[in-house]
Amino acid sequence: MVVKRADIDLSVIGQRRPRLDGPEKVSGRAQFTADINLPGMLVGKILRSRHKHARITKLDTSKAEALPGVRAVITAPDAKGIWATQNEPAICGEVTRYIGEELAAVAAIDEATAVRALELIDVEYEILPSVTTIREALKPDAPQVDPGAPGNIVSDNTDTYGDVEDAFAKADLVFEDKFVSRPTHNLFAEFHACVADFTRPDKLEIWTPTQSSYLFQHSFARAFKLSVNQVRIVHLHTGGAFSGRGSVRPHHYIAALLSRKARRPVKVAASGDEEFLVCRTLGDNQYVLRTAVDRDGRVRAIDVNATLDGGGQGHALGYFGWMVGLCMTWIMDLDAIRFRRQVVLTNQRPNYLGHGGMMIGTNAGLMQQLLRIAKYLGRDPIDMLLQNAIEEGHHGMSGEHFASCGLKECIETVRDASGWNDKYGKLTPTPDGKLRGIGVGIGSMAAGARGAFKHDTSAAMVKVGEDGLVTVFTGIPDMGQGTHTTMAIIAAEVLGIKATDIHVVAGDTDITPVDVGAFAQRGTIMTGNAVKNAAQDARDQLATNAAAALEVDVEQLVFRNGEIFVKDNPEQRLPFSKVSFGSLHSKEGRFVMGRGFYTTPVDYGTAAWSFGAQVAEVEVDPETGDVDLVKVWVAHDCGRAINPLAVEGQIDGQVFSAMSQVLFEECVTDDGQYLNPSRLEYKMPRAYEMPEVEYFLIETNDPYGPFGAKEVGEGPIVVAGGAIAAAVSDALGGFLPEIPMTSYKVWRECTRLSKSPDRSGPEAQSEL
Amino acid sequence: MAKHIMSLTVNGDTREFAVDDRDTLLDVIRNQMALTGTKSGCNTGSCGICTINNAAGEAVLSCLTPALEWDGESVTTIEGLEADGQLDAIQQAFVEFGAVQCGFCTPGVIMSAKALLNKYPQPTEAQINEGMAGVLCRCTGHIKVKEAIRNDFRLRINKGAESGSGR
Repeated sequence: MVVKRADIDLSVIGQRRPRLDGPEKVSGRAQFTADINLPGMLVGKILRSRHKHARITKLDTSKAEALPGVRAVITAPDAKGIWATQNEPAICGEVTRYIGEELAAVAAIDEATAVRALELIDVEYEILPSVTTIREALKPDAPQVDPGAPGNIVSDNTDTYGDVEDAFAKADLVFEDKFVSRPTHNLFAEFHACVADFTRPDKLEIWTPTQSSYLFQHSFARAFKLSVNQVRIVHLHTGGAFSGRGSVRPHHYIAALLSRKARRPVKVAASGDEEFLVCRTLGDNQYVLRTAVDRDGRVRAIDVNATLDGGGQGHALGYFGWMVGLCMTWIMDLDAIRFRRQVVLTNQRPNYLGHGGMMIGTNAGLMQQLLRIAKYLGRDPIDMLLQNAIEEGHHGMSGEHFASCGLKECIETVRDASGWNDKYGKLTPTPDGKLRGIGVGIGSMAAGARGAFKHDTSAAMVKVGEDGLVTVFTGIPDMGQGTHTTMAIIAAEVLGIKATDIHVVAGDTDITPVDVGAFAQRGTIMTGNAVKNAAQDARDQLATNAAAALEVDVEQLVFRNGEIFVKDNPEQRLPFSKVSFGSLHSKEGRFVMGRGFYTTPVDYGTAAWSFGAQVAEVEVDPETGDVDLVKVWVAHDCGRAINPLAVEGQIDGQVFSAMSQVLFEECVTDDGQYLNPSRLEYKMPRAYEMPEVEYFLIETNDPYGPFGAKEVGEGPIVVAGGAIAAAVSDALGGFLPEIPMTSYKVWRECTRLSKSPDRSGPEAQSEL
Repeated sequence: MAKHIMSLTVNGDTREFAVDDRDTLLDVIRNQMALTGTKSGCNTGSCGICTINNAAGEAVLSCLTPALEWDGESVTTIEGLEADGQLDAIQQAFVEFGAVQCGFCTPGVIMSAKALLNKYPQPTEAQINEGMAGVLCRCTGHIKVKEAIRNDFRLRINKGAESGSGR
């Protein structure tokens, strides 16, 4: 259901529209990287470390090189000076820091030959002492993962806004909870893969799924000392990304290195269990959440002390942390916040971000804690959230100005739709003894984030064919979120034609203009504005021609339903295609092409935020610990919903992923070794486990968004994580200190809480 | 490794292939026939992304199936669902109801749905849940996939054509 708060006259935007690439995808014609077969292409395979911390004392590739069918073997010297991240070599040469680290690679005529060649590489290791948990790593005499990170601490940053000490001193009560989120995998459907053609020294061509061809271009150019546009990145269809495809990884560089050495195109693709070693996502993160409140329910300040598991690398993690703390100030009008994150190295897979950034973990903790506080104060949690929620026009602590905000309406909508007032505190066990619970979560997400570059630019071109069919050129990848269809709808709205009359060309840096990429929820707002500007440019050119033909001023023209007509006299009209035809087939021979770009008006971060609230209802079996997520009510302020069908799809996927991360997903390791590296053992919800989802799109008209649109890319997942965790917490009557809340852990908590049922009492928090 | 000659009918086309013991149906379909619509998901039978249909219209995990055991058999892949240039009702339902996002699992999800609908043209919720339990979809959370399956029958009636031929 779309709840309109501000309406403007629109003819294309706002309709439920199937994605334009749907027919291509359902017919099997859509091409992904693994489907590419270039002439003479070889298969690349990577030799990975068997030990979590060891010195490589011998690496003899002579037998592999002699194997018939092998065309190239590379080791660390071939990759000298190439770093996947600050301290992560493309190929490890001396000391390996985690199981699965890249030691060597081969390119051969087929996969069987490549695998056989890997077996012929003779490696000897000198085992070094290791640490695999944050706790071990922080001990004074712990083995060192990286000589450059004394005490295994790679970074320790604190962001503070407002006077934290003062706010805590003035507050009536302080609640403190420890919370842990366990390691996950992005687990997109399409495994990591890369095809590289580096047979010419002055041109490197890469086919790979990515969130940003622009970042990839820069990284490859730097690694191989090429100019940026000597690198061509092609992303065909991208089989999901979920924050996991933002940067160039060792396997990408290895594909290029193998291709250069073999002088043939090379395809590198991860096998099933290898996929779990290659992924870079959330580690074993620990949080201490302290919240200062007054007895009347006013939340004064939050102090988060996070210890983040960087795994064997972890340099990128500290950088991203700033937003995790700040986003708590985007939902509640706080006096102060402090967010400290210490990144600790361990001999595990390097970690970055997962689906939902790091915010599912923090919000699952925070929403449970707010529930606990409300219960202690005898307040209804939703009333307490409404008391603290920010409103339109609010000025944030780091200079934000929230020009649109539907947070309170989102909260009220899910409260009423879910029947919250009849359920909260009144749910009794089911006849078969299942405990029932209901929980609320709220959240906010930035749409765009200037920071990685001085600019946060998306550019676009709009080509108007003489037949009236239009092509939009964009560099933004579509990983499933439907952004190419969104761009077609925006261009169609400006030009007054059908979205199906627009063809989107994307994903080839030789053709498409610059776009920073699809992350930080910047697609709709940044690329959307760029496409809008480019379409407006094309429209202006067409308007000049139409105005001359109709003998009126350009200001009087309206573009709508495939026609251009005079506002005050709609009978005076020309078909869109006739104007585009006439432009070219004229004495001037004018071909209409629009161009546009957009970057955020602020120096850092963004100018627009989405808001959301969700209520989740669960049933918990105390005998087994199984959690049945019954229903989720979702209200999301995404600004203008360009395509409500796509918005719903984004919400579905995020409820799924939040449920998955809160209840199921965990990369289980023992002493640095994966125990569940498969899609069977790494548990995700199946069709039968999915709850009913009811949607409410609370539309606002954001002044910075194209036609008022903001984001729906990661906002709902954070909210859902909080709501689901709070619902389980409500059912059990206590704070669950860890996600995923797997059956065993929930059963254990049920057993423990039945002995001391009320954890919100004075023993659980420090009262000042 | 020694090669054997086998024949396989894929989407109505019969061809002979030289395969060894290691080759799966997925290898033959993707590498030898160059029908890349069928995707390789996990290669361990865990995710259902490689699903095709056998002659009886049942779901088969092509990544786990040794090709040689299927000598002389007939299968349908995602490319075989279209008839006369028209999408099958279930393909159309997937587009119309937003059951497609990144599209990588889509061929396997549709072939699983097709097998379900071959068995139960108007499936109950329980039958949908059981029939779709073998496939993973990370983007859609299965929600609109189920909606598309519920609406397949209606689309088929609206098309006025019998597309439920069991293939």
